[in-house]
Amino acid sequence: MDSLTEEKKLLRATYLFCLISFFNLAIIKPKFDAGAIVIGVVICVLMGYAHFIVRRFFPDGDKYILIFGCILSSIGMVMIYRLDSKIAVKQVIWFVLGIASFILIVILLPELKKYAKFKYVYLVATLIFVSMSTFIGTEELGSQNWVKFHGMSFQPSEFGKIFLIAYLASALKDYENFKQLIEPACVVMVTLGFMVLQKDLGSALIFFAIAVTMLYIATSKFKYVAVSLVLFVIGCLISYKLFGHVRLRVMIWKNPWPYRSNQSYQVVQSMYGIAWGGLSGTGLGLGFPNYVPVNIDDFIFSAICEEMGALVGFAIMILSFLLFYRCMRAALFAEDKFSRLLAVGYSAMMAAQVLVIVGGVTNMIPLTGITLPLVSYGGTSMLMTFMGLGVLQKISEGGR
Amino acid sequence: MDEISNGIRKVSFIFLLLFVVVISYVAYFEIYTSPKIVNNSDNKRLWAIRNEVLRGTIYDRNNTPLASSTRASDGVTQNRQYPGGADFAHVVGYANPQYGLTGLEYEYDSYLTASSNMNMTDYLKQLIANKGSLQQQEKVGDNVITTIDSNLQKKAYDLLGNNRGAVIAINPKTGEILAMVSKPSFDPNETALKANWSAINADNNRPLLNRAVSGLYPPGSTFKTITAISALQNINGIMNKTFDDNGVLRFNSKESLSDFDGEAFGTINFKQAYVHSSNVVFGTIGLELGNPNLKKTAEDFYFNRNLPSNGIVIDNSRFPSFNSYEKGNIAQSAIGQSEVLATPMEMAMVASTIANNGVMMEPHVVSSVVASDGDNVKSFTPTPIGTIITPDIANTMKDFMRGVVTDGTGTNANISGLDVAGKTGTADHNDGGKNAKPHSWFIGFAPVNDPQIAVAVIVEDGGQGGIAAAQIAGGVIQTSLSK
Repeated sequence: MDSLTEEKKLLRATYLFCLISFFNLAIIKPKFDAGAIVIGVVICVLMGYAHFIVRRFFPDGDKYILIFGCILSSIGMVMIYRLDSKIAVKQVIWFVLGIASFILIVILLPELKKYAKFKYVYLVATLIFVSMSTFIGTEELGSQNWVKFHGMSFQPSEFGKIFLIAYLASALKDYENFKQLIEPACVVMVTLGFMVLQKDLGSALIFFAIAVTMLYIATSKFKYVAVSLVLFVIGCLISYKLFGHVRLRVMIWKNPWPYRSNQSYQVVQSMYGIAWGGLSGTGLGLGFPNYVPVNIDDFIFSAICEEMGALVGFAIMILSFLLFYRCMRAALFAEDKFSRLLAVGYSAMMAAQVLVIVGGVTNMIPLTGITLPLVSYGGTSMLMTFMGLGVLQKISEGGR
Repeated sequence: MDEISNGIRKVSFIFLLLFVVVISYVAYFEIYTSPKIVNNSDNKRLWAIRNEVLRGTIYDRNNTPLASSTRASDGVTQNRQYPGGADFAHVVGYANPQYGLTGLEYEYDSYLTASSNMNMTDYLKQLIANKGSLQQQEKVGDNVITTIDSNLQKKAYDLLGNNRGAVIAINPKTGEILAMVSKPSFDPNETALKANWSAINADNNRPLLNRAVSGLYPPGSTFKTITAISALQNINGIMNKTFDDNGVLRFNSKESLSDFDGEAFGTINFKQAYVHSSNVVFGTIGLELGNPNLKKTAEDFYFNRNLPSNGIVIDNSRFPSFNSYEKGNIAQSAIGQSEVLATPMEMAMVASTIANNGVMMEPHVVSSVVASDGDNVKSFTPTPIGTIITPDIANTMKDFMRGVVTDGTGTNANISGLDVAGKTGTADHNDGGKNAKPHSWFIGFAPVNDPQIAVAVIVEDGGQGGIAAAQIAGGVIQTSLSK
């Protein structure tokens, strides 16, 4: 099978999607919006250029990581443009920077294993970031997980996740016996504790998913996974008993309807959005995604389902899984255990994020505000994800 | 190394399973949960869609608006006005973002909010022709022309006074509903509805209930019309029979049936028994007919069945089944008591069918739907439901019912020159276990030789049918025919 033709086919379909969507966006307003066409073309050129660079200079790596990343971002940018064209322009700029940093990392990043030795640096950074919003955070959407700093605001747990992955990779790479697991276990428990205190239950779930996945890959022992699951369940029960906000989340999740004008307003609005769209959606500009709160980041999945349909929602899930799969596959080619664990941890993080937020907006699991990787609006998140993908791209070249 | 690639494979598989589970859940949500929640009243999309089109106007038969809309000052929402107020509240209904849709507003919502959409090619052509900018025109929904006669409706509403009850007036030849009143009523205009909503809902008299189509009452002696028809159909020589009415029909030591007010009519024939509403004779006839025969005739008139209709939803009237030994119940059912329940609409259809020589016409409130630019969208032609009785029987019944008004219990409905025919009813009922004041009923039509209007009137706890209900019916008929 000629991989290049396959890739080109996929890219062509992506260009088509992108151009048709932006053409649609250009004509739904009373006045023809040429800006939409420009943005659509810019995105296509950028995707084509990035693919060309990777193909030309790094033919050994996995090209699909970049392509899947681009498709997900373009779906996101279409929807964000529909919701708020000014923010979409910002998102496009972040997309440009993301692609740029992806390429830079692939070109400039030296051997990853050099970074394995900074275990305690990662440890300290993890603890600083996960604890930060407990002390100086502000509460938004029921979770105290934002830090505002000189007019900028960010979610420290986003960085906390990255550093936890780095820390666990360096701590678990030399795994020989049980004793070595005690320290990482304590660190994970402390991070989870902070997440529960910050009412950020979704992040707690993601931290746990990352830790368990990395633990299993490092040790290949199922019994550790089983023990972790048991401890996690016990931890859940204890926090349910101890914290009112945890009980509230569970109560809303079990039956959101009685509280739909206050506590469960968001999730109910999100469910209406998804229900309104049905399988094929109302069509861009023909739905009412503005009734869903925070529709450009946490609830972008509901907005997409409303206007583009649950089928595009499924496509996002499938693409996310394929991206996850390509990233896990990259881990196979890694030369050292540190890189491999890094790749596994990072892949697990992305996949867990998709599962938690999609499950949340449909009220399958208790809702917590988390971004949908690459699709949601968010500068830092976009940049960090592309950098992460750059690292994985680098890893995927390793063994060949 | 193998161990690790094995591990990676396993982890990938676990995540694949999780993705499949979440995708399946979303699919399940779309298929099972969505239809249940999407029409919830707090889903703002429903009204956002409606607000895109300026809701059409509902007119009466003379093009007097009964409900009309104007854009609110915000340019997005709209205000609905009901100039007729409480008089038309049940038949027209209300369209309210907070309290939903009822009546015609509900039944014809899809027309009132329909507006022809531009297709894609026209849209693009226009876009190019206007060099990229498009003038948005206000979309206006279709207008609904009803069969309601505003004057008659108002008159009927006024005649009911402070009573609880219902009045229906139908054109027996077409099935057009000319008036449909239910009392107590309420003001359907938005501010009034909002101000009174909790009081309306707390009111034990249930102002929101449309008694004309959903009120189930014992029909009392008006039901003797159906018993008489059944007797004409099933008992040979009934017209030549005479009956001895000594005032009481005794079934056993405990159960008996008496004439109204302790009267005893002596030896009378069938017509006299109907005209003077003899309980004893009709109880006897009921026993002779037996439950199956009487039930069949009642069901021919759409008791226990869905009565076809357009623009209204009619609750099913009920006629019970009894075993042959339940003599008391069988006799009671023949005079419209003992579990027999009828809506005023059902009884209006009985009168209407007789007036129309045995052919029942489909009752309808809407005559046509017209687009905002005047194009006809849909017209409703009078539709017969079926021939319920033979013209012979219908003529006999017309004669009987004319007799009621000239010589019998319904003289209060007599209007000189209009030849009113009808039947009264005084329906006993229990209220909280105690015997309450009976409901007052009248069904009828006029003029007897060429009926133009059929009516049914019920006044809850109104006492004797020959008084309260017959007077209202007379007034309604007079208003309708004296134009």
